Amino acid sequence: MAQITLKNLGKMFPPDVVAVADVNLTIGDGEFFVLLGPSGCGKSTTLRMIAGLEEATSGDILVDGRRVNDDDPADRDLAIVFQNYALYPHMTVAENLAFGLKLRKVAPTEITSRTAATSRMLGIEPLLKRKPRELSGGQQQRVALGRALVRQPKAFLFDEPLSNLDAKLRATMRTELIKLHQSLGATIVHVTHDQVEAMTMGQRICIMKDGHVVQVGPPMEVYRNPADTFVAGFLASPPMNLLDARVVDHAGGLAVALGEARLAVPGAFNGAYGAWRDRDVVFGIRPEDMHDGAGPGGRTPLDVRVVAVEALGPEVVLVAALADGREIHARLGPGFVAPIGSQQRLHLDLGAMHLFDRETRKAIAQRGTG
Amino acid sequence: MGGAVRWRGLLAHGVAALFCAAILLPLLWLVRVALTDKLTAYKLPPEWVTPRLHNFVEIFTDYPFLTYFINSVVVAAGSTAVALPLAAMMAYAFARYDTGGLPLRLFVLSSQMLPPVILVLPLFALFLWAQLLNTWFALIIAHLTISLPFLSWLLVAFFQGDVRLLEQAARIDGATRFQAFLKVTLPVTAPGLLSAGLLAFILSWNEFLFVLILSGPQTNTLPVGLSAFQTQRGVELALLSAATLVAIAPVFVLLPFMRRYLIKGLSLGALK
Repeated sequence: MAQITLKNLGKMFPPDVVAVADVNLTIGDGEFFVLLGPSGCGKSTTLRMIAGLEEATSGDILVDGRRVNDDDPADRDLAIVFQNYALYPHMTVAENLAFGLKLRKVAPTEITSRTAATSRMLGIEPLLKRKPRELSGGQQQRVALGRALVRQPKAFLFDEPLSNLDAKLRATMRTELIKLHQSLGATIVHVTHDQVEAMTMGQRICIMKDGHVVQVGPPMEVYRNPADTFVAGFLASPPMNLLDARVVDHAGGLAVALGEARLAVPGAFNGAYGAWRDRDVVFGIRPEDMHDGAGPGGRTPLDVRVVAVEALGPEVVLVAALADGREIHARLGPGFVAPIGSQQRLHLDLGAMHLFDRETRKAIAQRGTG
Repeated sequence: MGGAVRWRGLLAHGVAALFCAAILLPLLWLVRVALTDKLTAYKLPPEWVTPRLHNFVEIFTDYPFLTYFINSVVVAAGSTAVALPLAAMMAYAFARYDTGGLPLRLFVLSSQMLPPVILVLPLFALFLWAQLLNTWFALIIAHLTISLPFLSWLLVAFFQGDVRLLEQAARIDGATRFQAFLKVTLPVTAPGLLSAGLLAFILSWNEFLFVLILSGPQTNTLPVGLSAFQTQRGVELALLSAATLVAIAPVFVLLPFMRRYLIKGLSLGALK
């Protein structure tokens, strides 16, 4: 297994489209690393540059400390699983698995034993004699995975391999990939636009936007401390509520002015947010940090009008409007019911609030000097 | 409601039947004339006689029709055999490396836009100088000027499709560019290549002008051979019909294959 380092990596498509700009990342040996972002953010291009399918226009790609920019894809010894699997249609499953080994001049007995072991692990033994077109989507996916595994490469590159599967199969494969990673201890770079995949699978996730890295970190840390409004609005569904607001003086401390409402800022944040007094900010709060009960105390009330109640089973998503009409989402317990149009009082856990600079969209530090 | 649908169905079938008749009637007429004797062939309204095969015998015994047939096979197969690999490589270069960019592609296409008669005179002069007139070689080269640009354009689309991704997968799997081309691209695009080859074969098989100018009695192919039945005494209608049927027979034999491979080539179940 290997460590992959990207140094100032950039990709420009002629004439002047910047697909990836100045990406610096170190993917640890044995790490499950997820590149997450909306389509067109450069995550796939980054992966393809690592694989050698796309030439980097600037910067370095290092595998185990060795620069591989000029190496042929074949010589990098990485395996990639494509979104549409790219199985060789004229070969059987067994031939698909063996193809890479044959090219690398692995001994025939070794090929047989490795193909057998891999197909057993993935449960595709009964399919070995079939052609790809005779397989279902999920089976093709397994074969594509097997083709990568059987080679025992330095690292695995996954280019949205789950996005063509239906929701149920995707969830199953997600779990299997996590298990696989644990048993192999392989370095995996997984590209996805699905934040659930990223949150559940990645040991660290890297969020990209417009070719730039916005934030890198363990999923929960990125979730709890988003670097800017983009990350805050991208992770989770429904995502963080982001509302234009203003920091004002209030009862000897600070408050967030949300239209007519005043939400008192917890004392612990006063030092950091003090510098933002009378300035425009974006107020952020996650749907699960709003409750329909006052709780043990310390929650701040906010009156809203019910727009929609979406009962999802284990929880209820309340879509509500503030006095000025702006909509927010709250994630409430399964027992919540309220007629559409009625007034409700939500209780906000402001210890979990976030403030962002309205101009730069960057998070404002909650502690320290700000 | 049901009646309206039925009428629409009848109308559609009626139109389809008309089209079929427009295409099939000349062919059926050809078959009829080929099976009659020389005199009956001219009679209008048509007269029905017992079908006889003597016209088919006569074109092979009294005319060098077998030679024409062999010439046609050699020239069509030869030009296709040369054109297909060359065009495949050219199309691959266009599709993968964008060799020459748009200007080169348009240049290749522009050679298709020239009326053949403009090409044939310089070719005549060249072959005269090289003493190649009245040879199979000259005809094969001449037909390449038609099939090579045509095939190159046709095949670019095959190489630009999903096979590109398969090739990348092969490269990651450890194949060199050439290995990927040989072991993945070629087998996967084979149906497309084959159908393109059949098209090239038919183009050459039916070509008239180049053969007329560049060949002589020993190297004439079928289309020019057919024109020999247009004599000073008039058109030998019955013989011409029989000869025409023999000339188009290979195309009829090849067509079903071509259709099958063309469809197969366009719908490879490789990618989801």
